[in-house]
Amino acid sequence: MYDTLLFLHLIAAFLLAVTVVMYSAVALGAATTGRAMFVADRCWDVGGLGTIVLGVWLVLNLDQYDITDGWIIGAIVLWFVATGLGQTVQRRLAAGETTAIATLHWLRTLTVLGLLVLMVWKPGA
Amino acid sequence: MSLLAAIRPDDWNIALFVHILGAMTLVGSIALVIAYIASDNLRLGFRTLLIVVIPSWIVMRVAAQWIASKEHVDDIDPTPSWVDIGYSTSEGSFLLLLIATVCAGFAARRARGGGLRTATLALLAISLVAYVVAIWAMSTKPT
Repeated sequence: MYDTLLFLHLIAAFLLAVTVVMYSAVALGAATTGRAMFVADRCWDVGGLGTIVLGVWLVLNLDQYDITDGWIIGAIVLWFVATGLGQTVQRRLAAGETTAIATLHWLRTLTVLGLLVLMVWKPGA
Repeated sequence: MSLLAAIRPDDWNIALFVHILGAMTLVGSIALVIAYIASDNLRLGFRTLLIVVIPSWIVMRVAAQWIASKEHVDDIDPTPSWVDIGYSTSEGSFLLLLIATVCAGFAARRARGGGLRTATLALLAISLVAYVVAIWAMSTKPT
């Protein structure tokens, strides 16, 4: 059970990486298409839901971790921050606003990097 | 084995972090190249392969060797199958990525990519499937 959950949790995390890389290309000024952005946004939808649901399920499945552990609470907070930033970028792009899009995207990228740091180091675990 | 991985020594973390970061950039950039080539932006697809995909493969593979040396998995006889799967998928896919880069480069020089465009897309799709297998091997660590 643990192995399957971890595998699916990682696949979901890789989907988040697809979104971050695709939006990074836009933030760096590369040409893009509506279809590519659609794929990037759906990857975040599926990957975001997958990481949070499977991540919490993993914690509940393992005796050595608790949902109230600092690094897990930190990860959940970062997940909400990253999702909020992503939705703001998505909304602004859809409305044709370009103000602070790149800044918001790089903030989301840093937040996702922070999530990866927490997942690898598990401070306090 | 996976439960042991959850309590690995702290000095393995930086190598693991760089390995995962390289792998995530690799998968994300391959998806980006597929999006570019599928929308006939062959030149940008080719440049992304050269500037992002190949370097991120190198980062992923070098960090894999780094963490393998820290864990001494290469010293185990026989080598665990998850390590073999990791090496074979990464090295096999590198060959596919190199061929895809050459195909994308030639396709970008033509007005229409034709067969080379299709070949590039197919090679990149096969690489993505190989990485899903590698992620499965790294997370479940079959013996």
